[in-house]
Amino acid sequence: MASIIGTIKMLQDVKRLKHSLLPGGFISLLLLGFAFLLFFIFFLSQEDTSVIELDSRVFSLLQFTLYQAFLSTLLSLLVGLSLAWSLAHQSNFKGRSLLVALFSSSLVLPTLIVVFGLIAVLGRNGWVNQLSLYLFDQSFGAYLYGLTGILVAHVYLNASFASRSLLHVFESIPKEKYKLAKSLNFTTFQRFIYVEWPAIRTTLLSIASTIFLLCFTSFAIVLVLGGSPAYNTLEVAIYEAVKLEFDITMALKLALIQLAVTTFLVLFSSNFRTNIGNVRTGTLHIPWSESKHVKRFQVAIITLFSLFFTLPLLAIIVDGLGAEFKRILAEPLFIKSFFTSMGLATVSSILTVLFALFLSDTKRNFTLKHRLPYNTFSKVLNTIVSFSGNLYLAIPSLIMGLGFFLLSQTYEAPIAVWSTLALLTANVLMSLPFALAVLAPVMQKTGQRYDKLVFSLNLTPLQRWVYCEYPYLKSSIGYVFALSFCFSLGDLGIIALFGSDDFLTLPWYLYQLMGSYRTSDAAGVALILLAITLCVFVLLPRLFRRSVAKDN
Amino acid sequence: MIKILYALLLITVIALSNEKPTLTIYTYDAFAVSWGPGPKIKEAFEKEYDCNVKFVGMSSSIGALRKIQLEGKNTKADIILGLDTNIAQAANKTGLFAKHDMNTSNLDLPVPYTDENFVPFDYSYVAFVYDSDKLKDPPTSFEALASMPEDFKIIIQDPRSSTPGLSLLLWVKEIYKEKAGEYWKKLSPHILTITKGWSESYGLFLKGEADMVLSYTTSPAYHMIEENRTNFKSARFDEGHYGQIEVAAMLKSSKHKDLAKQFLRFMYSETFAEIIPTANWAYPVVKTKQGLPKVFETLTQPSKMILLDGKTVELHRKAIINEWLQSLER
Repeated sequence: MASIIGTIKMLQDVKRLKHSLLPGGFISLLLLGFAFLLFFIFFLSQEDTSVIELDSRVFSLLQFTLYQAFLSTLLSLLVGLSLAWSLAHQSNFKGRSLLVALFSSSLVLPTLIVVFGLIAVLGRNGWVNQLSLYLFDQSFGAYLYGLTGILVAHVYLNASFASRSLLHVFESIPKEKYKLAKSLNFTTFQRFIYVEWPAIRTTLLSIASTIFLLCFTSFAIVLVLGGSPAYNTLEVAIYEAVKLEFDITMALKLALIQLAVTTFLVLFSSNFRTNIGNVRTGTLHIPWSESKHVKRFQVAIITLFSLFFTLPLLAIIVDGLGAEFKRILAEPLFIKSFFTSMGLATVSSILTVLFALFLSDTKRNFTLKHRLPYNTFSKVLNTIVSFSGNLYLAIPSLIMGLGFFLLSQTYEAPIAVWSTLALLTANVLMSLPFALAVLAPVMQKTGQRYDKLVFSLNLTPLQRWVYCEYPYLKSSIGYVFALSFCFSLGDLGIIALFGSDDFLTLPWYLYQLMGSYRTSDAAGVALILLAITLCVFVLLPRLFRRSVAKDN
Repeated sequence: MIKILYALLLITVIALSNEKPTLTIYTYDAFAVSWGPGPKIKEAFEKEYDCNVKFVGMSSSIGALRKIQLEGKNTKADIILGLDTNIAQAANKTGLFAKHDMNTSNLDLPVPYTDENFVPFDYSYVAFVYDSDKLKDPPTSFEALASMPEDFKIIIQDPRSSTPGLSLLLWVKEIYKEKAGEYWKKLSPHILTITKGWSESYGLFLKGEADMVLSYTTSPAYHMIEENRTNFKSARFDEGHYGQIEVAAMLKSSKHKDLAKQFLRFMYSETFAEIIPTANWAYPVVKTKQGLPKVFETLTQPSKMILLDGKTVELHRKAIINEWLQSLER
């Protein structure tokens, strides 16, 4: 009897919530359907039905990919942690808030730009080597090609991202704990072990899994800085199999291995709960004045990393300013790639925001106690919706590209149509995990706060959206919009497979300029790309934030 | 106002309908760029035949071939130009290229080459180029190259995407046979980076990133004629040098087959042969009245041209590349 009543109540709830269940559910199915289609294509395209043989080359590719991802993660975490720790304790450091804001932009910096800047500063003819030649008549040589280069670039991109998230955790440690530690006369080391480590441990783990996945599927960095097939990741090997050797069988083989590993990793780390929210860290004083030595050490860490982070950006600006902008801007290929990039970025960021909103709207039905609290069901459905939003981590862009490529071979359509479709899909899927991580918690909160009111007033979904959700979400939407716009603008993944003179984006154009060593033009385009990215990332959220009631 | 617009529209329609046929040629970057031979050949050919020529440059000629393969029957290319005899057989296997029906047996080549689809248009020898101001004692053999000091760096090209890169691989294979893998292991510490195409490599070399770059015996001619610099030289290896004969072919799917054939024939004209030495920096396949520019006499003359037969290359290419890939792994 009780179970029947329970079922009836559940059905009533489902009916009442259909407006928030259906759109997200539909999108979730769409995404999962896409993933299924991809597997299906791969399965169909396999020419020989024989078991995939693991030759030594494939094995060593996998080995190196894992090894480099492991090292990158370890180094990024070490650097990120010590940076966050230093920043947390040096709240009076001059320009601290500017630095923190800058570090958060590392997430959206186009990887090619980073590579470009790193070569200018750390290359064989870069600033550091030139300075050292001038001062000590000694050059460090060409260390930037190969594993070192890959690691340096990965640390550049991920350590700042990690430190941003960790800093937030450091600052949310209750101040009482510090006071207690102080009264117990803890050393700095003891304080770290007993007060700080327990607080950051979980975040550290989730950041680690994210960074590992990002480095495992790293493409642009390895393509440019790898320098030799010895330093290829699976992702680059797939690209080479398709583009250099036209060996689709090999590409499929590699893709399947890649998929197996990433799927395993995503399932293993199950949740993408990294805190990358639109949090502005205020200057919260930690009631602990460091000893002189520790203070010096911390200041040194901040200074060193700031130099490491800002010099490549500065190099792009310095190199770029010397370019002939008049000629670059008039170049037909530049104009073409500019409009393609901007168009794609606009459409894909709008789609990302919509998808993320609908998905998190659906998600909260399963997590809020007063909505659908039927445990097992809700848990499973919640996982499914989350997984569909985090697909990108399991299916990296080049694999997606390969799928689209195979589709384009089977079904006749202009190559531009397939390219657009492939790029849009990749861009949306790439931004979704981040978009969900930002929007889902906020929507959860609005649900908690307004559900009772909305249900009692019987508001329509539109009314609910206009009066309750939007004002509350506005600033986060702006952030997500900017984030996915920049992601799309800077991505060099699928375009590497589909790019041509007829269909090209700014990063592809830049890659081609770099490839033919048209250095000055490349510097100019890099500066333009950097300027657009930073403008969008800084200005767009502001545009949304303006006139928002300050209730979050 | 509207009448004027209509008139303008009419004029453009007429102009468009009268448009000359466009011959699209896929090639490598260094051929298509404004300072390369592409624009000069375009001008000369357009003057003789009423048409437009469009060169589309890829990072490498194998890249151009792969692009044609990716585009399949929808490709806009009428001609592919810049592959060499090593890869021509692989290109023939795609079945995308058409017969040329020309007699190519009386060309001025160090070794005879005929193919029913591909037509040779110039040749050179693969060699390592260096700056003689910086490098006083260049290696004179592969053995000497691998025994250079630790910090001696060379830049080579990926044999999967670049024709000189593949030539180097075959060169080493021909000299070391089954010990080629061992040799690559020995050489690998000296390889600064492996680029997808020749232009990238040469650009990096000129920026001073490496001591030697894989290029051609004819490359120094460029620096002498265009820049008046005599310090760039190519190292002469005692074992002989691998030859690179560049070839072109037209596509079966071309909509301008007659024009494409005319272009292939044009490659044997004196006009074409006069452009090649000082624009593509290679030896033409036709003797001209004027002969070669003087500086070509100062270039390295290899003791012999090593050149594997295209069919043999195609048979073993995959295995040789795999051997190379495996020797480069740490």
